[in-house]
Order: sequence, then structure tokens, then C-alpha cells
Amino acid sequence: MLPTLRHLTEPIVDGNPVTLQILGICSALAVTTSLSTALTMSVALTVTAGAASLLVSTLRRHIPSSIRLIVQITIIASLVIVIDQVLRAYAYGMSQRLSIFVGLIITNCVVLGRAEGFAMRNPPLPSLLDGLGNGIGYSAILLIVGTIRELLGAGSLFGYAVLPTVAAGGWFQPLGLMLLAPSAFFIIALLIWLIRSWKPEQVEQPEFRLRTGPDGGQA
Amino acid sequence: MDTRVDFPQASLAARSRASHLPRRWTSDRVTSLFMLALALPLAAALYEDTASMLPVLGGALVVALGWTLLFARLRGKAMNWHAVPTAILFALLAPAELPLWQVLLALSFGLVFGEQVFGGRGYSFLNPTVTALAFLYFSFPAASAGTVGSQLVALAVIPGALLLLATGLVSWRILTGFAAGLAGWIAVRGMGVPGIELLTPALVLGAVHLVADPVSAAATNTGRVVHGLLVGALVVILGAAGNGIGATPAIVFAALLGSIFAPLIDGLVIHLNVRRRRRRSWPTSIR
Repeated sequence: MLPTLRHLTEPIVDGNPVTLQILGICSALAVTTSLSTALTMSVALTVTAGAASLLVSTLRRHIPSSIRLIVQITIIASLVIVIDQVLRAYAYGMSQRLSIFVGLIITNCVVLGRAEGFAMRNPPLPSLLDGLGNGIGYSAILLIVGTIRELLGAGSLFGYAVLPTVAAGGWFQPLGLMLLAPSAFFIIALLIWLIRSWKPEQVEQPEFRLRTGPDGGQA
Repeated sequence: MDTRVDFPQASLAARSRASHLPRRWTSDRVTSLFMLALALPLAAALYEDTASMLPVLGGALVVALGWTLLFARLRGKAMNWHAVPTAILFALLAPAELPLWQVLLALSFGLVFGEQVFGGRGYSFLNPTVTALAFLYFSFPAASAGTVGSQLVALAVIPGALLLLATGLVSWRILTGFAAGLAGWIAVRGMGVPGIELLTPALVLGAVHLVADPVSAAATNTGRVVHGLLVGALVVILGAAGNGIGATPAIVFAALLGSIFAPLIDGLVIHLNVRRRRRRSWPTSIR
């Protein structure tokens, strides 16, 4: 594999922005009640992250260090406004369903984190790949969570009925909890558990240990 | 400063005794006492309605012991029998009209996310039965319109409650606070003098086994009173807005909120105590 392609593939599992860095949780909770909103958000964020990293990396030698965050936010905001306008023009219904969450990509930690943490000190091509890779890693989690939540919460995928619900004369009783925000927390937590069981090197050192046992854990 | 804060959690978590507790408190002994306390209400409920209780009870026992065994194996820890009282309590409180798979799914969720992921009984901050019932009410809205249950079961809880009070596993401060909070908030809202209609299995079982559960309740003495007052008032607030004070959802969600606030209450009580002792003019805190 080309060494630069590592920047694209590494954030997908090994350095996933959601499950390893625990970033972008807010939008992951908000837009995953259905798969179509999750997919739209994923595409929007991946495009923004890639383009923002590319632009910030291109300008990195010209950005004064003291105002770098403002410049990065300005670049990201401009991109997000373009994406928001495109959505309003070509997919108005979807834009309404995503409400403020497309606009909030501006403050999404994944985008700003990669711009500040990677693109500011790397050449444009690796930065572009890194931005896209992190966008894809975020998208993967959003799509998994969206699939589980829409399938179990409404019995459908992309709005098409997959499991016939009781209300529609079928057998499937939808889980109302799946349409509420806490379920996304549980699903993301389970995904983190699964990934860290598969890749134990991602497990953090515990901050403290409980003192239990025959001698109060002294031994 | 006196560091011997009475934390029954320690005895519930530890296989053998924690250093400051009397030798008799092993986790198996605690589990047996909770089972004993639940035996009479279970017998009363079986006497009332055997046909609908038995499948739920059997399924709950299998599911609860199954998850405990699985997690004990995965973590290489000794098996703990507290899943049995949890399953009995859940079977007593779960709505009888729902399909069995929904009830058992909820119990699995409660056991895994309310207890086992934190390390098992004594390590979590939630009661698994409360978590399971909350899941049930959120997921299947039909569940919250459940039946109120018989007063015989409610009365049968009382001997077990006295046993738990006498052994100190359930704190009288929490129960007193709970009763005061309940009565106080009823008086504040001007809902009239509560009568026999408050003697429901949900309210009595919930107060003794969900609100005062030593794992999820506050653990400082002042905190216990505050925790009881908070949950008692919450039961009235949630019950008046929903299906009545004696209904199961009111006590379940009140207990859930109470157990979420319990660590904060304990933290505040300890903080205030430390500050009060520091401000004393004589140096009792330094020995």
C-alpha cells in the first residue's frame, strides 16, 4: 500500500474519530434516527472535512499562528454554507429534517480537530486524505448507528419498510427507545466495546482501581 | 476526620468482607436476605395470579442467571446469585399484559447496562430492575398503562421490609425521607389526605427494594434523608402527571432520577461535612 494511503485508511478503525477520539458525538446522536439523514450528514461532513483539511494545509504557511483557529473556522464555515445552500437547492426536505445540524458541522470537533491537529503541519495531499479518512470513519459509525436505530425503531431502512410493524398489520413491535437520543449512546458504547475487544491496544489505562478483595485490595 | 462512612455497597461488591464491616456480611448472605424478604410478596403474587406470573418469573430467572454467568465467565470472576432477587423483583413489577420477549428483552437491557457493564452487583450506580422497567416504558408505551395490582402483595412486602430494616440492609432514613417527601408534596399540592389507594405493590415494593436499594441509593446518613425526600416528592410529581401516584411508572422513574442524583447528594454531604469540621475553632480533625 502507498504510504500516503495510510492517512485515508487509518482513521476508519484504528483512529476512528467517534469510537477512539470520542468526537462528533452530538451530531451522531441527533441525525441517526433514520438512515437517510445519517447518510446525508455523512456525505456533508466527509466533503467538508476533506476540503477544509486541503485548504488549511495549502494555506498553512500563510496563517498567523495567533489567529489560526479563526482562519480555520472561517474556511470551514464557508464550506459548510456552500453545502447547506446546495442541500436547500436540491434536497429541501432533507435540509429541513437535518435542521441546524448541517450548520453545526462548523463546530464539529472532527473537522476542526483534523484542520488544527493534522492539516496545519502536513502537506496538502496527506491532509486531504486524512480529512476524507476521518470523514469516512465518522460516516461508518453514523451509518451503523443509523441502520440499527431505524431498523429497530421503525422497522424500515431509508424509509422503506423492511420489518412489517404491528401498526401496519405485521409482526414487528418497534422499540420506541431506539428513536430517542439515549439509544445512540448505548449503541455507540457497544460499538466502542466491540472495537476495543477486537483491538485491545485502544483500551485506555484506568485512572484508578477499585479496592476490593479479602484485604481491601491491599495486596 | 471519621473515615468510617457506612457503605453497604462494599459488602455487596466484595466476595468476602470489607475490612471495616462485621464478619457476617458476605455478598451471599446479603443476597439470601433479599431473597427472604421477597419470598412473601412472591408467594402472594403467585397465589393471586399463578398463570401470568409463572412464565415471566421463570423467564426472568433464566435470563438473569444467564447474563450473570456469562459476565462472570467473561471476566473470570466468581458467580454471584444476586440475579435471583433481581429477577423476582422484576417479575413482580413488570406489566403482565406484555409479550414475554419484550419483558425479557427489557430485563436483559437492565441487567447488562444497569449492572454488569459496571462490574456486577455493588459496582454500578443504578438498580437493574429500575433500568429494565425504564427501558420497558420507553420502548413499549403500552406498558405504562399497566394494572395496579392487589393490596395483598403490598401487605406481604412489609415483613420482608422489617427484616431488611432490622439487619440494616435497607436504611430507615431513606424510607422515612421517602414517606415524608411523599406526604409533604401531596400536602403542598393540596391533593387531600392519601388513603388506602396508595397501598399498591408498586409503591411499597418500589420504596423498599428500588428506592432504598443499598447499591443505588445515597450512602451518607444526611444524604439518605435527602435522597428519600427527593424520590418521595418526585413520585407525587410524576404520578400526578401520569397514571397516578400508586402506578409503577411513577415510582420507577422517581427511583431512576433518585439514583442518578444519589452520588451528587453524597458528594455534597461529604463536602459540607469536611468544610464544617475545618471551620471548628479547635483542631479535632487533626490527630
